[in-house]
Amino acid sequence: MLRLTEVSKRYGRGSWVLRDVDLDIPDGEVLAITGANGSGKSTLLRILVGVARPTRGTVSGRPEVIGFVPDRFSPHERLSAMAYLTHMGRIRGLSTGTAATRAGELVDRLALVGGRTAPLRTLSKGNAQKVALAQALLVAPRLLVLDEPWSGLDTSAHGVLSEIIRDVADAGGAVVFTEHHESIIAAQASRTYAVDGAEKAASPDQPDQPARRRQAATVVLTEPAAGNRPQHTDWSALEGVDEVVEHDSAVTILVAPGSCDALLRTALRRGWSVDSVRRAGEPSEVR
Amino acid sequence: MIGLIRYGFATMLHSQRYLAPVLWFTGVLGVFSSGDSGPLAPVYALGAALLFVCSTWFTIVLLGVEDPAHRAITIVAAGRPRRLLLASIAVAMLSSLVLGGFALVFPLLVARHPVAGLDLVVGLEAQLTCASVGIAIGLLCSRLVIRRQGFALVTALGLVIVALLAPGMVPVNVLIHRMSEGSTSAALVAPVSGLLAIAVVILAACATATQFVAARRD
Repeated sequence: MLRLTEVSKRYGRGSWVLRDVDLDIPDGEVLAITGANGSGKSTLLRILVGVARPTRGTVSGRPEVIGFVPDRFSPHERLSAMAYLTHMGRIRGLSTGTAATRAGELVDRLALVGGRTAPLRTLSKGNAQKVALAQALLVAPRLLVLDEPWSGLDTSAHGVLSEIIRDVADAGGAVVFTEHHESIIAAQASRTYAVDGAEKAASPDQPDQPARRRQAATVVLTEPAAGNRPQHTDWSALEGVDEVVEHDSAVTILVAPGSCDALLRTALRRGWSVDSVRRAGEPSEVR
Repeated sequence: MIGLIRYGFATMLHSQRYLAPVLWFTGVLGVFSSGDSGPLAPVYALGAALLFVCSTWFTIVLLGVEDPAHRAITIVAAGRPRRLLLASIAVAMLSSLVLGGFALVFPLLVARHPVAGLDLVVGLEAQLTCASVGIAIGLLCSRLVIRRQGFALVTALGLVIVALLAPGMVPVNVLIHRMSEGSTSAALVAPVSGLLAIAVVILAACATATQFVAARRD
């Protein structure tokens, strides 16, 4: 189990970025870390993976194989994605052949379209994010740390990322990620830790943080219990849709309040069942 | 470790930022070492002085190629930050050795010098001494220690000038001075070996200091 004890961090003589963080992360857990911009989430992640060292406090139980996906991955390199991943595999102790095979599998799984041989620095944000994800998975990690991994990924990659997170957790690894969207947190995390507040269990009927009010409404759609399967819909193409997360038989959609009614009409017409609708800042669900 | 060194070379070669220091080194060496047919030690002294400046430059560039997010990934993949720094030093040293080897052979190709085995030994030791101190200064002035590029450049320039030109400064200034005096290579082996040992200690100390500062900066 990864354990942080009274971890604090500041740079030089600046103000404290993190203060007295006590956090236990057992194997198999998916932990979401929330907090406002600049609240020290990224610093906490960098301490978790061992890139930054805490000014005070200790980190114990860090596993040997760690996958880390930082928030910005915008390499200036002329290396191609495949060459980069092969290098990273070799650094992790794989042979060149194994590293290249594994890199190829991951690139296929994440559907890195046309980016295999292109220089890293020419990749779009989403594709660069896929390369960053792939390098973290070259060797199955016992701890996977992701800094806002959903930003920039397309909808199909969202599904793959959810799968990856589940795979790592099912194999007994811990997953830690930061994310601003509550719908994603609710769908993925088994626990939430607020950096500038107290730790608590993730539960959908509690507003996560009063300070963090989204403008969007959250719509959860499910397949009806009986009857026909609903029509497949490209939700992100609809007007006002901010973010789409697809789970097993449900879809969580963040939509601008003005476009909410139109979205619901479309959903019902196509055979979906509306599970819940929550307006921005509203504390409880309306069923 | 080999994976890290390969990756270091790959990023450096692809970035093409090694070109400026390498061109400068070969160009200056070519201009000043042709047409001279005297003893080899002063010629090798010039090569070592050039390599000193070049390895500082090369090290700063090498450690600046990866942006911080990218470097964080490499550190996590390598397991320990120290390993990545050691690999960078190895890349800088191996590159310096290639240039140093060129500086040893080139004068023999363009002019007739009386050559003895000891000349080459002294020449190699001189190259290693200068490369070590150059890399040491490069580490201290890299992005890991000095974030602002302007400051880093001025600091590097100051340190290089002091190490090279301040009279009696151990080991680079003393080395160049001794080798240019016209002593025989047999008389130079012992003092140059001593200077090389000092240079290696300086490199180890600067590497430790860089790792110490970088770990607290991150």
